Amino acid sequence: MGEAVDVQSLELVSVIGFGGNIPGGLVSHPDGQHIIYPLGCTVIVEDIQKNKQSFLSGHSDSVSCLACSTSGNFLASGQVTHMGFKADVIVWQFKERALYCRLTLHMVKVQAVSFSPNDKYMASLGGQDDNSVVIWDLEKKEAVCGSQAAMQSAGPVYALAFCNTRDDLFVTGGNHTLRVWELSPETRKIVATDCNLGQLKRIVHCIQIAPGDDYMFCGTSSGDVLQVNLSTRLIQFYGPQKNKLSCGIQSLQLLPNGGMLVGSGEGTLTTLLPSLKRTRTMSRVSGTVSSIALSKDSKQFYVGTGNSQRYVVELESFSPQLISSSHCSKVTDVCFPQKSSDLFATSSYSDVRVWHADTGKELLRLSTPNVTCHAVAFTPNGKAIITAWDDGKIRAFYPQSGKPMYTISDAHNKGVTALACMSDSRTVISGGGEGQVRVWEVNKSGQHMTAALKEHTGTVTCIKLRNNDEECVTASTDGTCIIWDLIKLVRSQVIFANTMFHAVCYRPDECQIVTAGTDRKIGYWETHDGSQIRELDGSESASINGMDVHGTRFLTGGGDKLIKVWDYDRGEVTHIGIGHSAEVTKVKVAPNGCHAVSVSVDGAILRWKMLPTALLGPPSST
Amino acid sequence: MATDIHTCTTLARCSLTYTTLARCSLHAVMSLPSEESIYNLIPKTVTPESKPPRYKSMFSSTVRSDGRQDKACSKTMGPAKVQLSSPQDFLKKHSKEQKLPEREARATNRECKPQRPLVPRHTEQPQMGSKSNKNYVTTNAVNNIMAVPRKPAAKYVDTVSGDTFDLVASGLVPKYTNKKDYGKVPGFLERRREDMTAAQAEYDCYIEESLRRGQMEQVTEEERDTLLAGLKANWEDLHHQYQGLSVITDTAPKKARKERMEAEMKQLEKDIELLERHHRLYISERLS
Repeated sequence: MGEAVDVQSLELVSVIGFGGNIPGGLVSHPDGQHIIYPLGCTVIVEDIQKNKQSFLSGHSDSVSCLACSTSGNFLASGQVTHMGFKADVIVWQFKERALYCRLTLHMVKVQAVSFSPNDKYMASLGGQDDNSVVIWDLEKKEAVCGSQAAMQSAGPVYALAFCNTRDDLFVTGGNHTLRVWELSPETRKIVATDCNLGQLKRIVHCIQIAPGDDYMFCGTSSGDVLQVNLSTRLIQFYGPQKNKLSCGIQSLQLLPNGGMLVGSGEGTLTTLLPSLKRTRTMSRVSGTVSSIALSKDSKQFYVGTGNSQRYVVELESFSPQLISSSHCSKVTDVCFPQKSSDLFATSSYSDVRVWHADTGKELLRLSTPNVTCHAVAFTPNGKAIITAWDDGKIRAFYPQSGKPMYTISDAHNKGVTALACMSDSRTVISGGGEGQVRVWEVNKSGQHMTAALKEHTGTVTCIKLRNNDEECVTASTDGTCIIWDLIKLVRSQVIFANTMFHAVCYRPDECQIVTAGTDRKIGYWETHDGSQIRELDGSESASINGMDVHGTRFLTGGGDKLIKVWDYDRGEVTHIGIGHSAEVTKVKVAPNGCHAVSVSVDGAILRWKMLPTALLGPPSST
Repeated sequence: MATDIHTCTTLARCSLTYTTLARCSLHAVMSLPSEESIYNLIPKTVTPESKPPRYKSMFSSTVRSDGRQDKACSKTMGPAKVQLSSPQDFLKKHSKEQKLPEREARATNRECKPQRPLVPRHTEQPQMGSKSNKNYVTTNAVNNIMAVPRKPAAKYVDTVSGDTFDLVASGLVPKYTNKKDYGKVPGFLERRREDMTAAQAEYDCYIEESLRRGQMEQVTEEERDTLLAGLKANWEDLHHQYQGLSVITDTAPKKARKERMEAEMKQLEKDIELLERHHRLYISERLS
């Protein structure tokens, strides 16, 4: 071992990801230059002009709500935690991008947060298990008072909104409840008045208060908007009476002309007149419209959808333009084509996407509804994208048109979990959930299985091939890694460890393999006799899920949300990348070694800058 | 490019939906699926075409150097030498203005054809004291005496007090029944009926034609005769063979042969009878 190396931080280049399922998650900052959105446990502040992102990380679990104060000085974000634990609300200082205070009182989930117009107070609403609303004093950083958010007979409360002019009036709305609260700071009490909706039974999902504080507008799951008088607490009228928005109104934004923008659960964006009638202007986006954020000049607005897509829509033309798209569920695999570092493919639930590395733009989407893709590989000649799905099928696609090329049905009976393609681009090796490793010959006449290697008893998690295609190594959750002779189609070596192997890699000169798994250890093994050379502690807290070797370094990523760059020979961490907000599932270094891509459970794709290194020499005799 | 994602995914409705988001290059879009490559998907960076250097004349330096030389440019000829005008013909006001030609006086309508006699001029004296010798009294009396008495207007009286009304306008006198075309079918109806009958006839003709075309083909008399003749010849032939059979049919082949011939002859007889019995024969399909 050499002398201790100071660990440097790995430079994060870009993030592809957006937590689209959070209602009101996309927020436009009052300065008109930034938009703010959550991604897993992180809140991302993006500069629109410079296209630069900064990250606010401090939550221990997924962010569940987000709000920006009227002045723009503060941001607040709430989170979810495990059952029985307290969930934090974090208030951030926007300019410094720093944590201002951490407010902990709600149980399990923070449903919504809202700032008072003069930044004096902040209200936060707990989730279903908490059912309370709390007022916080922002100067003193402490709670003023709290109360039960709704009557016991009512259901969960979803929405919270402060008045535009008064610091002591706010409203909450939810399942058969709509309340106006008045705060008296002297007595430290909040008093609720239930709004009288008459015969109407509605579930309120979003509330906006008119600029003069005379009315509030509530979007409901029935697809209409309630207009409630704030002084009398009586419903004024509701609409649209006919032709309601299907799947409910999930987001609502008042316009300066008195009308409003509404987004439905079905993905419809439309405007309503001040009389709450529908207008002709309408457009469709993909997925639930979970948030609408009006820009500073009110000429355009940003739309975030449940499919993790962000759009910008001009109010004049009303045609949505996609700003960014990302995965909305766990990303299971990432791979680069052999000869290019400019693009990479990621797999996820029901789709595989190809991304341009530099711009982060989506180039191609291969969708297969309702099945999860576990692994993706490019053929070395680049003429096909091969994907492994949990319905037991291997599907290949044309890489430009995205049309299906062939499907191998029943490739594995417990889903295909790992995939590799030989350098002739005609032989595919797949691993399945039942533990078999199968070799497939793909010809013009069809796809034939040439061998089924039945040694593993657990899910095959990773397959790596030697450059000469004569040998491959497979890792499995049964605690074994097997090196297969692909000419005789027999096992040549087996490695046992008390772990579930998640990743295995060949050293570039292919005389050693590196393994990683749930025991947080990184093991170096000889390929010719399967003996262990060295064992390193890969992580302090959680399992290692992804690993990739490039040159004299290798990368690991895992449950500790960190990306670590290791020096192969010394076995020391040289760089650490902090940025993931959830468990990392896979990491890959680009073929040119200039950047690396890591993917995580929250759907985020992070690109890291790497310095290309020299290829690894022969192992030093130690 | 961005909005394509949405539209493509909604359009593709097969079990495997696919979307091409990159409109990267013309080559990529037009390539055949078998020639597709992931490397074509990389968006090509379009370098702006560099402009060619600005045109510079090869003579520009010569021109510049020539221009720099001290040349009296406007002293080659001097101003033109012309005869001076005499002091009497001094320059007058407006004399240099362009003069338009005099407008010709056009004759107006009124001048051509005076519609009314002119109003008497103030110098004219009205003719006074002219007298006629006509004896109006006698002339009028003579005219009246000679006049044909006027026919009284046709009137009718319907009250005791003798109120009269115009008879012609009253409708009591037959007027329309005296018209020339009274009680006759108007001409346009005649014409229309003719058109309709013509159309019906044409339609009937067409139906008949189509029926005739669809109906079965009749066997002509000659064909029938040839058929019959042929059948009869066959029968004769068979009958001749039959007559030549041995009397004793002792073996199975003999028996079979005899039976076959009998059956064939029977069939021929049946056919001949059918053809002879009926004179009109139709065939549904002629085997070619």
